[in-house]
This record gives sequence, C-alpha cells and structure tokens, in this order.
Amino acid sequence: MARRYDSRTTIFSPEGRLYQIEYAMEAISHAGTVLGVLAKDGVVLAAEKKVTGKLLDLSSAKDGGYGGSGEKIYLLNSNVIGGVAGLTADANSLINFARTAAQRHLLTYNEDIPVELLAQRLCDMKQGYTQFGGLRPFGVSLLYAGYDPHYHFQLYHSDPSGNYSGWKATCIGANNGTAQSLLKQEYKDDIEVKDAIGLVLRTMSKTMDSTTLGSEKLEFAVLTLDEVTKQPKAKIYKPAEINALLLAEGLMKKDEDTEMKAA
Amino acid sequence: MSLMEYNGGSVVAMVGKDCVAIASDLRLGNQALGISSNFQKIFPITDRIYLGLPGLATDVTTLRERFRFRVNMYTIKEEREIEPETFAHLVSSTLYEHRFGPYFVEPVMAGLSKTPSGSVKPFIAATDLIGCLNFAKDFVVAGTASAKLYGVAEGLWEPDLEAEDLFETISQTLLNAVDRDAYSGWGCVVHVITKDKVVTRTLKGRMD
Amino acid sequence: METSFAITGKGYVIVAADTTSARSIVKMKIDEDKIKTLSPHLLMAYSGEPGDTIQFAEYVERNIRLYQIRNLYPLRPSAAASWIRRALAESLRSRKPYSVNLLLGGYDTASHDPHLYWIDYLGTMTAVPFAAHGYGSYFALSLLDRYHNPEATLEEGLATLKRCIDEVAKRLVVSPGKYKVKVVDQDGIREVEL
Repeated sequence: MARRYDSRTTIFSPEGRLYQIEYAMEAISHAGTVLGVLAKDGVVLAAEKKVTGKLLDLSSAKDGGYGGSGEKIYLLNSNVIGGVAGLTADANSLINFARTAAQRHLLTYNEDIPVELLAQRLCDMKQGYTQFGGLRPFGVSLLYAGYDPHYHFQLYHSDPSGNYSGWKATCIGANNGTAQSLLKQEYKDDIEVKDAIGLVLRTMSKTMDSTTLGSEKLEFAVLTLDEVTKQPKAKIYKPAEINALLLAEGLMKKDEDTEMKAA
Repeated sequence: MSLMEYNGGSVVAMVGKDCVAIASDLRLGNQALGISSNFQKIFPITDRIYLGLPGLATDVTTLRERFRFRVNMYTIKEEREIEPETFAHLVSSTLYEHRFGPYFVEPVMAGLSKTPSGSVKPFIAATDLIGCLNFAKDFVVAGTASAKLYGVAEGLWEPDLEAEDLFETISQTLLNAVDRDAYSGWGCVVHVITKDKVVTRTLKGRMD
Repeated sequence: METSFAITGKGYVIVAADTTSARSIVKMKIDEDKIKTLSPHLLMAYSGEPGDTIQFAEYVERNIRLYQIRNLYPLRPSAAASWIRRALAESLRSRKPYSVNLLLGGYDTASHDPHLYWIDYLGTMTAVPFAAHGYGSYFALSLLDRYHNPEATLEEGLATLKRCIDEVAKRLVVSPGKYKVKVVDQDGIREVEL
C-alpha cells in the first residue's frame, strides 16, 4: 500500500511524508562527498570523484578553462563556487540555471549576485518540483561557497526539497555524518584559509572510501579576496595543483610519491 | 538634432606591430552642456579584447551590459575566452537584430587574436549602428569627431609601430581631433594591448 | 521652472529640489516634496512631465521596497541606480515612454561611501560628484565646477548649495521660490532647513 504514495512527488503519505524527496536525499548520501569550510578570509571546498577509470578521456579537463575536471566543483559566478553531490545530469541542469540566474542579476543590478540570493533562486526551483505536476525532484544537494559585500564570505547548503541553510563547515554525500562530527571537533571560529585547507584535506582523507588521495579522486577549490583589487578570486585547482597541494600537506601516499618522482 | 550627436564622444582604434590600441574621450554631455568628465565608453570584454561604444549614452550602457551578459555565458559554457573575430560577429548580429529600431552607437573594437603557431595577430574592427562590419588593417574611428579623427590618423599613423610609439600616435591623434570637436574631449583614456599585458593611461585634455 | 541639485561631500550627499508644482504658467502648489526616500540610505529627486514623475517615482519606490522585504537588506545605491536606469531605458523604446529626470543620492553601508548618480529620461546614467537638472543646471554646474569640494564638511556643502540656489534666484527669470533639502549619510536620511 505504501507504494501508492511513492509514485508522485506531490502526494503526502498518510504519515505526512513525501517519499520521493526522502529517496532523493538517500541517493545523495551515496554520492561522492563534498566538503566545505568557511574561514575568516575565504572559503574552502573539496569533493570526492567516484567514477574514475583508466579509459575515461580527461584530456579536456587537464588544461581546460577555469580549472577543475568539471565533475563536482563548478564556477557559478565570479563570486560563487558550487559543489554538487547527486545525479550528475540533474546537477548540470541546476548549474546552468544558477549561472544564468547570476548573470541575469548582473544584468539588472550591475553587481555580482549576493550568495544567499543565488541559493534562494535555486531553491525556489527545487521546491517547485516537490509540488507541481508529477515530476521527479532534482536528485542534487549543493554547497555554495561565495563572497558578497553584505555578509562577506559565506557557505550555504541546499537539498532536493528546496531547503537551504548557512554553515561554518559542512559536508554532503557519502559518509557526511562522519565528516560532520570530525569538522565539529576540529573547527575553530577564527580559522584562516591556510588552516582550513589542511582541515578540509585531512577530513576528506578520513572520510573517503578509497585508500589513496590524489587528483584522480579529488577536486579542490578556494575562494579568497584578491589582495590588490579586493574582489573575490575563485581558484579551482587543476589536477597537477591538487597533487602538489597534497604533497605539501603530507597527505599523499608514499608509493604515489615515488611515482611522481619517476614521472 | 541627431541622436548620434546628443551626448557626444569619440573612439579610435589602431593597429601596431604585435599590438593594438584603442582610445576614447571622457565627456558625457546633454547637447552643448557638459554633464560628466569621467564617462567611460571603452569596456574590457576579455583580457585581450576592448570594445568602444560612442553614441547615445543610454544605449552605450545598455549594450555594455548586454555584451557582458552574452560574453560571460559564452566563456563559462565554452570554458575558453571568446576570440576577437567571434566577438565582432556577436556585436554585428546583436545590432542587426534591431535593424528597424536601432541602438544609436557605432562600436569600435580592438584585440589580439591567437594564431595556430601560438603568436598573436592584431585585430581591429568597427561597425555602423545596424552592425555592418568594417575590418580595417590600419585604424578605425567613430563618434562625433570621426571626420577630424580620419584626417589626423591619416597623417600620423604608419605601419608596424611598437607599443610605445603606437601609444604616442593614438594619443596625439585623439587629443588633436577632439580639440576641434565641441562634443568630444574633457580628457581621454588610452588602452594599449600587447601579448602579455594591457597598459591603460588616462590623459589630461583641454576642459573647454 | 523645475530645478534640482545634488552635491557629494565627505561621507554625505545633499539632495535639493524646488517645491513648486506648476501647470502651464500657473503655480498650483508651493510645498510639493519632489524627493523620495527609497530606502534607509537612498534619496531620489525627480522632475519632468507631471503625472509621469509621480507614477514612475512610486513604481520605483515600491519595487525597491519589495526587494528589501524579500531579501532582508536593501539594494546598494549602485545596484538601485542600475535597476532604475534600466527601467527608464526600456520605457524609452515603449509605446509611451516616461519623461522623468532623476538625481539619485545614497550612502553605501557596505563600502561606507556616498554615491550620486545623474539619470535622465533616456536612461543615461553617470556617477558624478555633483549634479543638477532643469534650467538651474546651466547656472549651478559651472558654479559647482569652481566651488565643489569632495572633502567638504556638511556645513560647507550646505553653504555651496546655498550659493547655487542664490545664483539661480538672481539670474533665472523663472526661478523657483522654495527648495526642500535632504541629506543622506551614515546615520540615514534627514531633512535640513537652509
């Protein structure tokens, strides 16, 4: 009988639940982990890539555009980086929506979209799919790392139901419970970006299923303020830069070290 | 009264040796009355392309915002910066969309395009208010002082000028042309685009 | 005839507009307030075609207020100015354009500096240190070229404004009688008596 309430997102079950939304969230909790930490002078984002294979052609990602391999971490606007967990196809559609919304704000107000407003724009759409017309909700949670002159650096999370919330440090995807309790223990209110990078990478290495931490499994991004222009500067790391960072933080496996030297 | 002369203003772009320059005045007027001496009509499109929009000031602002929107969406989706030739056609088609109720501007653009060998090729172009492209090899002019700019540029410009000499040539061309035009002047801004940097200088001009 | 001025100084913007409401050659009212408070730190002086002015000013006022209610903080002066400019630019190419000229003075609480924008009915917008609309602009702008000081205190700024008003009263045949003067700074908006 319960199945009668599964087929439509728009129908409550007798216990007052929307099963499709809960299933969407369940799907996300199996996706690659995305982790964000808000620091005093920036925001740090890291993501675990699940699907990798030797035959997957990553050549475009190696030297493409603004960095990153375009799977988990995306530039949403010049002042916001987004990290996604869930169905990749749904995520692509949401990212496209976010980028258009941000550019539309720039067009009408001649200023970068405030971070919370961008999160709201996406949540308005996500909420719509929980209510109208027998459609499937977006199977995607997002982290937004951004900067605006109103509240400076910010970190938001949004889920398939269209709820969003601001965080000092949070995590979505597989093992998010473990990561969140680790972050709760280690987070300090006046943390700086350089320490936040270490915190993110250490938490990531403890929560990830795989034993090795390297650019083929990890995406990484930092949002800071440019020292000269005082404008937000989004840096999405390229694979080589991630390896260099892991090496510097001493988180790369020994055998990988020798591989790097050999290569 | 023509809408092209309502606010005043002029732009010129020139080709040099592996470099280009684009310059404009800074006046915004209400016919003969000067309103602002810091009205920018040249906008950076990418690190290597600049666009000058002389003409009706309301359309200058509107088009600047529209081109920024289009180029930003292009950059983020293509994951690369737009090439000057491509951008020129974007400008042209945007203006032609309004063929029978045009934006009153005459865009001038300058940039460096990439060659397959990895070096750069200077690029300048201008269009009329409905988007007819003019790919010149030497210099392009537009605005209320365009007739005067043609004269001075014809006399001063020579092929293969180095960046510093090109700066001097374009500055003298603009400064002297706008001094003969009542609707342009009140200071100038000059951008010289080379392979590894863009040098922007603001020039003092006669304030009459 | 209608005249409005605005002057920036150290941490403030003064906006002044005449208070006459005229139809043809007849003064209908002499205490009309033509400066709207759009948000806690934003002033807008409007002039132009009667009817259009009030209609457009209220349209702007309500939309700026709506943004503030929806987003918990008001638009910054530059963003508000861009939105208003776009509204006029779109109206220009509509069947019946608004014929309204504006001076927009605001204090940006995020970057802590005063902003002044000159906007006309075509949708022309420029940020300026001082501005004027109407016949008074022909006298006031040249006077402000000589006497304006961006570092002036409020008292000095008001004295400069007084010079403009006196000059217009002295030389303009159709000079307005009274002005309303408002100031916006860090503490918000208040009306001042000259």
